[in-house]
Amino acid sequence: MDSTDIDRSPAGRADFAAVSKTVLREAGIGLALVVLIIVFSVTTQHFLTASNITNILTQVTINLVLSIGMTFVILIGGIDLSVGSVLSFCAVVAGTVMTLPGLDPALAVTLAVISAVIAGIGFGLFNGFISAYWAIPSFIVTLGTLNIARGAALQVTNASTIYSFPAAFNAFGSRTIYGVPVLFLIALLLVAIAWFVLAKTVFGRVLYGIGNNEEAARLAGHNIFFYKIAAFTICGALVGIGAIIYMARLNIASPIIGIGFELNAIAAVIIGGTSLSGGRGSVVGTLLGACIIGVLANGLILLGLSDFMRQMITGFVIILAVILDKYRERLTKA
Amino acid sequence: MENNQTMPDGIRPSADAEALLHLSGVRKRFGGVVALDGVSFALRAGEVHALVGENGAGKSTLIKILCGIVQRDAGEIELAGAPYDPHAPGDAKSAGIQVVHQEFNLLPYLSVAENICFEDMPRKHFGMVDYTSLYAKARKALDAIGLADVDVRRPVESLGVAHRQLVEIARALMGESRILILDEPTATLTERETQRLFTIIAGLRAKGVAIVFVSHHLQEVFAICDRVTVLRNGASVMTADIAATTPEQLVSNMVGRQLAAAMAAEKTVDTGGKTALSLRNLRHPASPFAEGVSFDLHYGEMLGIAGLVGSGRTELLRSIFAADVAVSGELQREGAPRSYRNPGDAIADGIGFVTEDRKEEGLILSMPIAANVTLASLKDVSRLGLVDKNKESRLTQKLGGEVRLKYGSPRDAASTLSGGNQQKVVLAKWLANKPRVLLLDEPTRGVDVGAKAEIYALLRGLAEQGLALLIVSSELPELITLCDRILVMSKHRIAGEVARKDFSEEHILNLAYKDERRHGQH
Repeated sequence: MDSTDIDRSPAGRADFAAVSKTVLREAGIGLALVVLIIVFSVTTQHFLTASNITNILTQVTINLVLSIGMTFVILIGGIDLSVGSVLSFCAVVAGTVMTLPGLDPALAVTLAVISAVIAGIGFGLFNGFISAYWAIPSFIVTLGTLNIARGAALQVTNASTIYSFPAAFNAFGSRTIYGVPVLFLIALLLVAIAWFVLAKTVFGRVLYGIGNNEEAARLAGHNIFFYKIAAFTICGALVGIGAIIYMARLNIASPIIGIGFELNAIAAVIIGGTSLSGGRGSVVGTLLGACIIGVLANGLILLGLSDFMRQMITGFVIILAVILDKYRERLTKA
Repeated sequence: MENNQTMPDGIRPSADAEALLHLSGVRKRFGGVVALDGVSFALRAGEVHALVGENGAGKSTLIKILCGIVQRDAGEIELAGAPYDPHAPGDAKSAGIQVVHQEFNLLPYLSVAENICFEDMPRKHFGMVDYTSLYAKARKALDAIGLADVDVRRPVESLGVAHRQLVEIARALMGESRILILDEPTATLTERETQRLFTIIAGLRAKGVAIVFVSHHLQEVFAICDRVTVLRNGASVMTADIAATTPEQLVSNMVGRQLAAAMAAEKTVDTGGKTALSLRNLRHPASPFAEGVSFDLHYGEMLGIAGLVGSGRTELLRSIFAADVAVSGELQREGAPRSYRNPGDAIADGIGFVTEDRKEEGLILSMPIAANVTLASLKDVSRLGLVDKNKESRLTQKLGGEVRLKYGSPRDAASTLSGGNQQKVVLAKWLANKPRVLLLDEPTRGVDVGAKAEIYALLRGLAEQGLALLIVSSELPELITLCDRILVMSKHRIAGEVARKDFSEEHILNLAYKDERRHGQH
């Protein structure tokens, strides 16, 4: 076979070396996660129990889905501060659709999912178009969208909460397979798709290229405008999915949910080793980063620390992760 | 040249007892690149001393050493008889050496007064700025250089370039100055402001300030300077009283005599190919002249573009490639008009562009060599949007062999390569696209001699295969070695065309300076 020939060539071997280098990068984050798990397993009674693990995975799921989208945006050197508010808007839109009177439950849920994703894509297109067309930093544009989406969600619902979704939808949100929440499995599937897109496709390659050196990518004939909009749109679509997952889990849709979610998503991406200036990182790192945040939150509460302490420690961990990344960068360069 | 013998050959600093600043044997390397290779230079109090040389001769590096931005590797510098060894710009300022840099160092949103006094703001109690004396100080400084018509409270961004330049000079003069270094101060000035600057310079000279005047404009050198030193390839090759020399002599010293003949290896001029690319009055947005640029480039031809820095050479290439879209004029490929909207259109039409700045525009340094090679031709190594990494590696190995790339693995980051090999990756990237027209901007900048020879051979090979090459270079020997024809640019226009049989650095430089001369006569 052709491919085995290549693998035996010196370049093929070096390919393997390069791949194992990236694996090593992520292994470092994975190692940190394992250490955390061991520490909490030893220091607390309830950490390593089936019900607690299910609990952690449930809590990680929404942040993970949002972090996947955030990874795309941060990889091109952008940032999306609007995801929390947009999630809330998507949720109230989906909630409204789902509770429309006289709809068959299956149809209601289907329409709700579609409308949430469309709403998310709409905001993603808006963020991407404005920041790409007028060359406005996405920090500013999405800060604006953060307010727009929140205001829109409040306006649409008249600041009220939507509930009483179809029973099957609620049941789906709490279903588990061998203790693993189905919603988490969906998030894992999304991670796998995102990994494939970023690592294997031309599209992903060019995203990395833009994040590293936009001018070089432009002069190589790539349409920067398209890619920027695409990254924000993917992020928006994932926010729509995140909104549905939120509703399935908590059985409500409200215009005041999702506050601060953008910061958790950014934290997961950064802890996962993606460079905030773009061009470097992976969605596997993001998965590990989201798990670290989830494990840390859960373990610290089990240790009896207050929620305030937990927040402080999570803050330190974010900073620590970035410092460690500086050293890791030096190691992989050598 | 016989004149060279009658000149004080090199400089004997110890002989110049009146000198305020003495340099002897100053050397500086940046990595593998020699920037200064033995500069000797003596500056007397109350003189205006011109520093001239081709692009890359070492003028900027010398100034950076004098003002403490970079440190020399070897050589002696004495200031007023004492060793002078600045480690930071502050050292130079406290020693009385003030510099007006070529790039503006002003703070655009602050007022003129704040800019002028930025290094030593007058204070009141609690560290508050004393605006009354700030404005008074700035007013005095501007009046001193005859800039009475500028309000010191205006933000700098509201001033034109010429006034900014003068504010920069006023700022430099705020400190105690024994030596004032002006790096290309007239580049952005109009005739009238240049005259104003000359008046200021004359006034400073009368006060005993020593002035170093760096300029490409020879007629200015002859108008206001007392002495002149010529740098060539990082070494000082001549110092003379201005009255005892001529512009022609300066140019021939800037160029050097012996090299041209040796470099001009036999080359068969072959411009019989079909026309690949034609420009008709193509005008880059930065060009001040509507006539733009017109020429024809043929298949199999190597056409050089010479000119001073800022003459619009890079802009010309960028407008052909639609990296900057031209504002007017026409571009034709094989006789048919084209209007590219972006680089993608140009690439699709068989054009490649090896940019001047590898790090900023050419390469994605932290990404693998293979990803860089295929960046402009991802379609060829992918199927249904998926990158075929085996195919990509094979292509990289094939092209790597063609350009004689020395590398470990296609998956190593491009940043692991030397400058010469990085440049070969950029070339490989464009060759992967099988271009018919290749635009090259400074193709051997920062490349060592060995790699340079390999790149020359590669480019010749490409021309023999029938590619049309358009080469911009600041190194005239490079163009003389490679090209069939050279167009000389000046102020975004073609100042002249030189056929291979007429190649000489002097001739080309004279064309490059032609506009300057003409300009100086009225």
